[in-house]
Amino acid sequence: MISNSVSAIDYQNRPFNLLPVLIAQQLTLIPLYFFIPIWISALSIAVAITVYFTQVRGSWSLPTWVKVLITLAAAVGVLLSFQRLSGRDAGVALIAVMYALKVIEIKSHRDIYVLMNLGFFILLAGFLFNQSPLIAGYQFVPVAAILNALTANHSLTQTSRIMHRSLGQTLKQLSKYLLLALPLMVVLFVFFPRLSGPIWKMPGGASATSGVSDTMSPGAISSLQLFDKVAFRVKFDGREPQGNDIYWRTLVLDEFDGLTWSRHNGRFEKPIKSITSSQQPDGKAELLSNENTFSYDISLEATRQEWLTFLDRPIDTPRRSRLFKDYSVRFDYRLVDRTRYKGVSNIRLPLDLSLSDVERQEMTAIPASGNSRSRNWAQETRSQSIDDREFIMAILRRINQQEYFYTLAPPIMEQDIVDSFWFDEQVGFCEHYAGALVYLARAAGVPARVVVGYQGAEKNPLSNYWIVRYANAHAWTEIWFKGEGWVRIDPTAAIAPHRVEEQLQLDYNQRDSLFDDFGFAAVDLNEISWHKEFQYWMDRANTGWNDWVLDYSQGSQKLLLKGLGLDNFSVKQVSLLMISILAVFLAVIALKWLRQTNNGDSIEQSFVIMCRKLEKANYPLNKGEGVMGFLSRLDNVNSSASSGASSNTSSRAERINPESLKALRRTLERYIFLRYKLSDITEKQQKDFRRQVKALKIRTSEAKPTEH
Amino acid sequence: MAANQANKLFSSLKLKGFFASRMPVADEITLEQRSTYILPTKAGLMMFGVIILMMVGATNYQNNLAFLLTFLIVGIGLVSTIFTFRNLQGLAVKRGNIDSVCADQTLAVTVHLNSQSKMDHLTIGIGFDKKSLFYCDVSATEGASISIPYKTTKRGWLSLPRIMATSSFPFGLLKVWTWFKFVSPVLIYPKPIEPPAAADSIGTDNEQGDNKASGNDDLYGLKSYQPGEPLSRIDWKAHARERGVFTKEFVSYQSSDLLFDWDNYQATEPELRLSYLTYLVIQASHNNLEYGLNLPGNRVPQSSGERHLNNCLKALALHGLE
Repeated sequence: MISNSVSAIDYQNRPFNLLPVLIAQQLTLIPLYFFIPIWISALSIAVAITVYFTQVRGSWSLPTWVKVLITLAAAVGVLLSFQRLSGRDAGVALIAVMYALKVIEIKSHRDIYVLMNLGFFILLAGFLFNQSPLIAGYQFVPVAAILNALTANHSLTQTSRIMHRSLGQTLKQLSKYLLLALPLMVVLFVFFPRLSGPIWKMPGGASATSGVSDTMSPGAISSLQLFDKVAFRVKFDGREPQGNDIYWRTLVLDEFDGLTWSRHNGRFEKPIKSITSSQQPDGKAELLSNENTFSYDISLEATRQEWLTFLDRPIDTPRRSRLFKDYSVRFDYRLVDRTRYKGVSNIRLPLDLSLSDVERQEMTAIPASGNSRSRNWAQETRSQSIDDREFIMAILRRINQQEYFYTLAPPIMEQDIVDSFWFDEQVGFCEHYAGALVYLARAAGVPARVVVGYQGAEKNPLSNYWIVRYANAHAWTEIWFKGEGWVRIDPTAAIAPHRVEEQLQLDYNQRDSLFDDFGFAAVDLNEISWHKEFQYWMDRANTGWNDWVLDYSQGSQKLLLKGLGLDNFSVKQVSLLMISILAVFLAVIALKWLRQTNNGDSIEQSFVIMCRKLEKANYPLNKGEGVMGFLSRLDNVNSSASSGASSNTSSRAERINPESLKALRRTLERYIFLRYKLSDITEKQQKDFRRQVKALKIRTSEAKPTEH
Repeated sequence: MAANQANKLFSSLKLKGFFASRMPVADEITLEQRSTYILPTKAGLMMFGVIILMMVGATNYQNNLAFLLTFLIVGIGLVSTIFTFRNLQGLAVKRGNIDSVCADQTLAVTVHLNSQSKMDHLTIGIGFDKKSLFYCDVSATEGASISIPYKTTKRGWLSLPRIMATSSFPFGLLKVWTWFKFVSPVLIYPKPIEPPAAADSIGTDNEQGDNKASGNDDLYGLKSYQPGEPLSRIDWKAHARERGVFTKEFVSYQSSDLLFDWDNYQATEPELRLSYLTYLVIQASHNNLEYGLNLPGNRVPQSSGERHLNNCLKALALHGLE
């Protein structure tokens, strides 16, 4: 009768379930074993094993002075290993050894809670050393083990046979906790208000060096190194373009925040169709045979970016790459190898002959404040010019005629970088000139943008291909003129030749071009093998990991909120949003689960619904009346009502119409069958009955008498 | 100041009323979230502290994996509220049979626990207060029964105080609890006290006539081996084994019309009289004697057996209360 109950005192003194605790402790420490001195790892494992076996043998405890001695010895050991106790490595080693030794003094369940809770902190320490996706995924294992240890020590394991679950059941239960916690974790991670950006990054992150990066901050660079390294090699099919037309387009930067030019749309942009794959065969054929159209092969060195470079302006793009409206081309993956692809470009291709209002607004946007001198100057100059083209020419004339210098070692400009470049310093390299020109044009209301890529190429004297080096990296502008669309304007070219630093005019004879070869093994974008694609995919996962997890910061949070259309939200509002999402999520689970408890007797619940329906129809089940009795009464009432002799049996004027009656009868009989004749009711039967009751409509054949 | 105090008192009263109104009262109750409360345990508070520490660490090192881990733990904490709640939800408690005892004895309150939710409810604590809980696991199919002691103080109908059902399964980080109350009262008999024998008893002999002498002998003999805990049957059996021969001797010449009378102890106060009579009734019943009871306004004729004993004890328990 009285089964398995345990009194409060017995419960307080219930035996420890030490094995899960030790397992959790060791799983927690494993990531650290790779970074702390090996003697600590060995000590930790030895202590755990010793504690386990002594516990199995029976009670065993060390005198306090021995424990203190061991602890002190361990601390001294750390001190000897690191020559100090502060700093990341020594600090982590110290807490690891303390955590490892903590198991020798487990005396109460409280000690177990302390040990397990501290385990979370130990896991965190591991992330100071390694932040690979592997270790991030691994963290779920010790967390699950800790939860398991807590559960095991919170159960009446010794008295209950219920708790003796199989390993599979335990894992299933633990994964349930984790799976439900996972979405909460993601929501918190994304929306939880952050402070400033990360202090250090993973090595080999997205910010690899290359000739062209996806942002441009001219004011922040004080010395530009020209790399002789090859950026890419090009082999034209037949005709080759002339020197002035050789601009290699990579990326368009159209957003300026006062310091940095960047690409506006970021990740949420839709691609457009390339010209040759669009639905105009006539135009396509004409374009391809045009004298300004060139086709070529490019062998691009690994850029560790997704952007492909083409001769300005590409009209056909390789597979798995997407052409965007600004004629930047992005490949599905980062280019981690030398990559070869085919390009077709038309150097005179007109672009965007008309601009929508939104586009015009975007292309003339500048920060509301700052650079006021430049702004005024631009507006004044524009008002003195006949049209936009004349205005741009005026700017270029100023560059050409006034003391503007080209240098690779410009001064650092921190505030109002356009003003200080345009009026004060007047020295800089292509980024300064391109940035300033676009700023000035925009200030006067002329749509403009920065294009980055490469300019020029040198022909390999020994063969028929061209080499473009990082030193050729360049930034120029595109200005939108009415009737002409986007027109390439290169302000750097306007600088008077005698004001370009001599050093730059050194010839390139010393370079390694003699030993160069276009035929270097390269990945052909048209023939990507599956293992290459896997490699790409892994690299993308790694990049995504860097971008979205390790580098996720205030900035990326803002970007994401903007993508979600929440850019106007304050920190408070975002927090509220986060809390609401959490609350809704919890409420949904809670409702789903806590409701289940009421399904204990689904048949009875359905019956209650039916009773309510009957009451509404004015045919309530009387108190103490069985279903059988009700059925017979129903028959009586209705038959007498139909025969017209209903005066005293039914005070109600209406009777149930025959069809409803039939349905009601069926339902009631079903109820009797389920309730009294079946001993075991399946879930399906419960559901079916519920459906039957829900579908039941009790109609009366005569209108209800009005009561008022 | 006084107003403040009055206010406090008022709000505490209101609060008490609030809790009381939400407490389910019946002999068979399914525990629901409406009347269930939840708070973190000490271990839960400790984990909260660790989470704060982790947040600080993650922010300081701007380590996003540390943030992820911290948020995972927060997520587990939040989800565990539901798990903890669910462990108590859909648990049906039912009042078991409770054997009456005498005042000052310990009542064994039996509570049957059943799962209404098709799941096991683990480490459920049941008790009259949080310091004297008894724990058990309730299997989904078999249920469980638990017996919690309650120290009685006075005779009459005892309305059982509210009972706490609590659980902090699975992690012991949060504790949910609820109170419920069984409506059916338990009858508590008066505390049996050995009458001071001779003087009082002899005093009553005059009124009883012929039988009184033999009755007196009987009682005297019985008193001598009274162990003091009449309803504790195990003790009684042990005791009976020791003194078995002695007992039989008495029974053989026992008069058939033993009557325990209220008026036998006229100088004593009523509660003590009831105690004396209870003692006598229990002794007589235990020795398989035939006896009757005479209380003002309530006379139980001579008889024997378990049922008769219960009648007598009930009459004694409720004397003057109904």
